[in-house]
Amino acid sequence: MVLDMLMQGFATCFTLENLSFIFLGVLIGQIVGALPGVGPAAGMALLLPLTFGLEPVTAIMMLAGIMYGGQYGGTLTSVLINVPGEASSVMTAIDGHQMARAGRAGAALSIAAIGSFLAGISACLAVAFVTPLLSGFALRFNAPEYFLLGVLGLVAAASLGSSPIRALIAAVLGLMIGLVGTDPLTGAPRLNFDMPALYEGIDFIPVAIGVFGIAEVLSSLERSDEVAPIRTRLRDMWLTSEEWAQSRLAIARGGLIGLFVGIMPGAGASVASLLAYLNERKFSRHPERFGKGAIDGVAAAEAANNSAAHGALIPMLALGIPGSGSTAVLLAALILHGIQPGPRLMTTEATLVWGLIASMFVGNVFLLIINLPLAPAFAALLRVRYVYLAPGILVLSLVGAYAATLDMGTVWMCLFFGVLGWLMIRFEIPRPPLVLALVLAQLVEMSVRQTLLLSFGSLDIFIQRPISLALLLLIGAMIAMTIVNTIRRRRVAP
Amino acid sequence: MNSRNMALMGGAFLALTFGAVAQDAKAPTGPIEITVGAGAGGSPDVIVRTISKIMNENKIVENPIVVQNRTGGGHSNAYNYVLGKPGDQNTLLTLASPVFTTPIVQGTPSVIDQTVPIATLVQSELVLLTPANSPYKTLQDFIAAAKENPGRIRIAGGASGGNDHLVTALLEQKAGIKLTYVPHESGGAARATFLGGNVEGHFGTLSEGLAVIQSGDARGLAILSEKRRPEDVIKDVPTAKEQGVDVVYLQFWGIGGPPKMDPALAAWWADKFKQATETPEWKEYLTKTMQITEFHGLDDAGTYFKREQDTFRELLTSVGLAKK
Repeated sequence: MVLDMLMQGFATCFTLENLSFIFLGVLIGQIVGALPGVGPAAGMALLLPLTFGLEPVTAIMMLAGIMYGGQYGGTLTSVLINVPGEASSVMTAIDGHQMARAGRAGAALSIAAIGSFLAGISACLAVAFVTPLLSGFALRFNAPEYFLLGVLGLVAAASLGSSPIRALIAAVLGLMIGLVGTDPLTGAPRLNFDMPALYEGIDFIPVAIGVFGIAEVLSSLERSDEVAPIRTRLRDMWLTSEEWAQSRLAIARGGLIGLFVGIMPGAGASVASLLAYLNERKFSRHPERFGKGAIDGVAAAEAANNSAAHGALIPMLALGIPGSGSTAVLLAALILHGIQPGPRLMTTEATLVWGLIASMFVGNVFLLIINLPLAPAFAALLRVRYVYLAPGILVLSLVGAYAATLDMGTVWMCLFFGVLGWLMIRFEIPRPPLVLALVLAQLVEMSVRQTLLLSFGSLDIFIQRPISLALLLLIGAMIAMTIVNTIRRRRVAP
Repeated sequence: MNSRNMALMGGAFLALTFGAVAQDAKAPTGPIEITVGAGAGGSPDVIVRTISKIMNENKIVENPIVVQNRTGGGHSNAYNYVLGKPGDQNTLLTLASPVFTTPIVQGTPSVIDQTVPIATLVQSELVLLTPANSPYKTLQDFIAAAKENPGRIRIAGGASGGNDHLVTALLEQKAGIKLTYVPHESGGAARATFLGGNVEGHFGTLSEGLAVIQSGDARGLAILSEKRRPEDVIKDVPTAKEQGVDVVYLQFWGIGGPPKMDPALAAWWADKFKQATETPEWKEYLTKTMQITEFHGLDDAGTYFKREQDTFRELLTSVGLAKK
């Protein structure tokens, strides 16, 4: 039955017009994903009016292509210049950029493309075969579970970098930035100093562009004579068989985590890639290499963000609830094309839904074909001396920041966080925990307060719900393990 | 120069000016930007994109219309942008509830008092939903339960100070009850909480409500408007008024112009929006999304907006969010 529908979907897909628009969609996704500031959701919104003349199914196929194409594109700038194109690419930047510095950019980009592809195809299969099952699971996840998931992320973020104390400093700073704006629960303004730019809080984009991209450029000014161009030889452009062996299971695990986190309407691709990365470090036989260019870290994070982007379609198709910013635009596109989304969409609009699912298989194949040959080409960009790259990075970063809101305030904010990031480099405080804590801050604050409203102030709710209890035990175990390890190390050390 | 020549020149000048007015009836030149403070895919965004598409495709307006999302600051990025262009001929502002509520919550000057009212575009009725397996069959059951256990009936809705929150406050006022409002970052997130069976109540627009009633996940307790909807699937859901609770609350969206906009241009736009809302395409959009258009133009729209602004201020004060 499902197979029949899927075959029909492919039949819808394989017309010259539809295939061209899928290709166009993934290509645009690839580009907007790579540009810092302009994410897939914004790209989809910009192109929405241009789809009015198209058949609804063609339009949705193209827009969805931008959505998952963006996950492939976000990798480029993360790896090459350490500026994450998307929130979900922060984890890719950590090891991906270290690999690039060691001349392995080609390998990092290749594994990212392969990981994204394999995870994307698996997620498409999940969307096709188990959407009703998974959408039920998504609904069992609510405020208490989101809170604990966020705490899990924070505990894990604090373990990024060489020293836990330094990582904690960064994470707390991120949480503090997350407090600015509006109290998410009561709607009361707080810490906004009456500046309209701060009414809705500080967005992830200027912070990430600032502390990663601009800080990197500022820091390079101090050592401009020493930075030699990165030497890459042709044989360094491709994966070694050893690297592939290391990454296979990382892709499988990352993809699975990404799918589960992706289907929850409250989480998202950034939380997914964070959890997948940290999970991989636990499984890895060489956890000490994480943060210094571990290819399995890149593979897991990229597999997770792509499968999360696809997974977000599950609650959208099954329930009419957008699982992410991009799926919200897809829902809007459906409405604009005269289709009312909701729990019955899969039956009332079967042709459209199955055409969309089939198109995602096709789109992922296109993206793999685009990305594999391009990986070495882009990697070669790093042969340009940094002195010449730096102004380009600065311009790209600031234009990206402006494009995100069309407001100069964002540009100033970006520069402010650039200086902060530069200080963090100087004092050796790791930057990823700050950005991740900022992403998690609102999720954690909102969900814990929602939980207590739902339970009328009682904490029992956390142990009464099975998923919540399991997460609680997991967090307990993680903290206990950290403490035991620290004590052991101290006994051995002196 | 003698006085006769001056009079001639004056006459020529007058003729030129009035001639121009008569000729193009104040049509603007060049592309038009409709600024919207919501992100892509938000209700206001969908509405203005739909109506711009209709105006351009039916040649009601020949100028290309660009919908520009200027998000952030509770729509203040968008309205401050338009307020900063007094007299501009090519910019319009989408009026959604945050344009009214943000200044009240932040204690800044009203936006509605500064912009030029052009039109109300669309209204959306709300329905109070309860899970299909809940013991409450009518609004009265729901209210009785809330009276018995004050604060124990939970409503999942969008952000604090938003429409869901304010209509909850209105229901509390009119029914003399106390509810627990659980805010969410978006309406979609609130619907997930509701469908997950975590709360007793949730307000949906009719199309959202209809989708979950038809799928068997929810029951409609009351429609918060003057009269019932005609559609078969929902015509059995009574209004709150019928059930003795005088709660009428419409979400609405409109269009305003920058301060000091030429009145003739405002009139031109009001006429164009009116024409667009009368097209079959717009009617079809309304049917599909189960919304209504109660069109008001110019001064009528102004009165409408001012009245709504007063309601917002009163409700925000009652939930403690209005800044004095």
